[in-house]
Amino acid sequence: MSTPLSQARTQFPRLAEAAVERARLTVVPRRTQKAPRVPFVSLVSLLLVTGVVGLLLFNTSMQQSSFVATSMEEQATVLAAKEESLQMQLEQLRDPQRVATRAKRMGMVPASSPAFIRLSDGEIVGKPLPAEPADGMRINPLPTAKPKSLRPDPVIVEIEQPKAVRKADRKSDRAEAASANRADAERGNRDEAREAGTKKQKPQQSQGRTR
Amino acid sequence: MTQGTRPRTPGPSSPGPSRPRRRPARGAALVRLRVGFILIAMVVSVFGARLFQLQGIDAKAYAARAEAVGLETVTLPATRGTITDRNGAPLAESLDGLMITANPTLSAPDAGPIAKIVASRLDVDYFEVLERLRKPDTQFQYIARRVPATEARAVVAEIENRGYTGIDTERDPVRAYPAKDVAANLLGFMGTEGEPLAGFELIFDDLLSGKDGSATYEMGGGQKLPLGDNSVVAPENGSDLQLTIDRDVQWYTQRVLREAVQGSGGESGAAVVLDTRTGETLALADHPTFDANEPMLSSPADLGTRSVSDVYEPGSVEKVLTAAALLDAGKVTPETKIPVPAELPRQDRVIGDYWDHGRLRLTLTGVIAKSSNIGTVLAADEFSPEELHGYLSSFGLGQKTGSGIPGESRGLLPAWEGWSQINQDTISFGQGVSVNALQMATAVNAIANGGVLVQPSLVEGSATTSDGTEVGTDTTTARRVISERAARQTAEMMEAVTDPEEGTAPAAAIEGYRVAGKTGTAQRVGEECQCYDGTFTVSFAGFAPADDPRFLVYVVVQDPKNDGGGGSIGGPAFHKIMSYLLRKYAVPPTGVPAPDHPLEW
Repeated sequence: MSTPLSQARTQFPRLAEAAVERARLTVVPRRTQKAPRVPFVSLVSLLLVTGVVGLLLFNTSMQQSSFVATSMEEQATVLAAKEESLQMQLEQLRDPQRVATRAKRMGMVPASSPAFIRLSDGEIVGKPLPAEPADGMRINPLPTAKPKSLRPDPVIVEIEQPKAVRKADRKSDRAEAASANRADAERGNRDEAREAGTKKQKPQQSQGRTR
Repeated sequence: MTQGTRPRTPGPSSPGPSRPRRRPARGAALVRLRVGFILIAMVVSVFGARLFQLQGIDAKAYAARAEAVGLETVTLPATRGTITDRNGAPLAESLDGLMITANPTLSAPDAGPIAKIVASRLDVDYFEVLERLRKPDTQFQYIARRVPATEARAVVAEIENRGYTGIDTERDPVRAYPAKDVAANLLGFMGTEGEPLAGFELIFDDLLSGKDGSATYEMGGGQKLPLGDNSVVAPENGSDLQLTIDRDVQWYTQRVLREAVQGSGGESGAAVVLDTRTGETLALADHPTFDANEPMLSSPADLGTRSVSDVYEPGSVEKVLTAAALLDAGKVTPETKIPVPAELPRQDRVIGDYWDHGRLRLTLTGVIAKSSNIGTVLAADEFSPEELHGYLSSFGLGQKTGSGIPGESRGLLPAWEGWSQINQDTISFGQGVSVNALQMATAVNAIANGGVLVQPSLVEGSATTSDGTEVGTDTTTARRVISERAARQTAEMMEAVTDPEEGTAPAAAIEGYRVAGKTGTAQRVGEECQCYDGTFTVSFAGFAPADDPRFLVYVVVQDPKNDGGGGSIGGPAFHKIMSYLLRKYAVPPTGVPAPDHPLEW
């Protein structure tokens, strides 16, 4: 039929004709075996949908936790600040000045001489002395002195003591209290004077004077 | 068969008839291809041009704009370290704080109610706030500064809830000193912008301040973007500083000192409490002092540490150093007999005692107990100037103590080469030399500590000051100044000072305890005339229990007006502080009877 083939045939001896016949290439018919498409498509769409939905959920949850983190951080800051200020309040309550003020208001004074009880034999070490009002100390600064112009001399009016004093009279009670106060004050002054007196020393003007 | 199985598709060798049919198709593809290429090239070149414009021409401007849109950087503030006392009680602490600010252009209409809320909840003046809220021609006014964050937020929330505007907050850290004036002289204080201005706050600032960090993240709609850029540099908080001060002892000492200074009409005063064995300073008090929370309410002169910055002549307290040196050199014993004349002419001066007496026959113990200048001068004649100077300078006179307190002065001990006879005489009883209170306390403490001088310390452990010096209990040095025997004998002599009949300071005695001490009443060099102006420095240094000392207390009052001396002003203050210490630290009396050195012969 076609010329090249016949030429080949003529050129080669017919020896290999059978082999050539056998070796002739033929086209394999197309396989028309069709795989079912549905599972594949549904698998892919399933993957796609799960992926997208999953990503969306993941993102949402990330966002959500980011919100939570932010608000919790804020809360932590607020709570830390609160803790700090409560701590500061506690320290203000523990302030020795405040404690001393309260103790003084309850009538307490520091003890003058330390003494201990030895627990092993119950013996008292040191000489315990009762604490006295004189042991008390001033815990607040002296008020600033007023200038002279604001300190008028006290006006002293002397009145005669009434002859009949009724016992139930409030005035007499008050007077008693006042005189007791005065007596206290006087005693205090005397104590101070005595203390000062024992240590008062004559000043001397010579060089290198020292006590 | 061969025919039927041949492929239908024509190969390259297929004959002609199919060619004319396929040529136009191939041409169309080529055309499509070329058109496509051109289109793509055009699009890509547009992209390229845009890329060049963005990256090449003004990349920085765009980058900056991009950052400005999404990125947010916040400073993560480092917390300033706490300063605590020896037991961990805070003396200075930092709080998260806010300042409340106002924009008067917005707040003016509601100024009344806003001011009412602010003034009722914070410590500010209603009328001042009102004025600031209404201030014309400004958009920024401070309403309250250094408010603890919780309080500030509550106030601002209330204002906003009521629907008022123009109020905002900004970070403004609070430095709080919960014990107010306690140890304020040591701690120093902070300025309005949170910068350290004095004291330990200033010299340990490198240690305390720490380093601010920062956080950068992308923001969207007021929230952090979860997967956005995010970088955090964590802040380095400042280190804490622990002092050897005991807050309660410091408080008590300050109150006793204030009572002593105010009670005597004194100008100022200082008190030192040392742990005898370790040199740890349990209290270092100054009066007048200030409230570290409100330093500006006090006079600038009161904001320092007078006890180490101011020098004065120590007076008779210094006699114990002379006596201890004489004992150490083996030149005297506590019972050495010294004939004391009524007055002693030396060079062109006459040395006298504070009380008039005829010729006295005192032992060295008697000289110390009665604080006789003449007796001390006669005893010190055993020394050459070089020897006395050597001892006094090894007691630390004329040198800094190395405690680390800023502004410490070294005092003055004149070089012995220039001493005349009268110089040596006055120096032997504490005039003509000057010291600061901590220095003098340290010197006397060497006697209490068995002859070993320990450097006083104020910082527990160790800390580096801003000038690079390491201070603290870890770096404390100790050196022997006098023999243990000389120290013990001096302490025994000092016990006679608190003797109820013979001593100069019976008020310093503590019932049941052996107390060693020495009074001092020195002439004071006035600031104006630079000469002795008739004012005095009175002081008392003592330690207890005398035979096994635990604490040393030194009290100094400058210029008392009540004609008192070291025994009557310093003595009672010493008594109170020492009793408190012995009780607080549970130091029982030793129970060993005191030796009875005769005072006279």
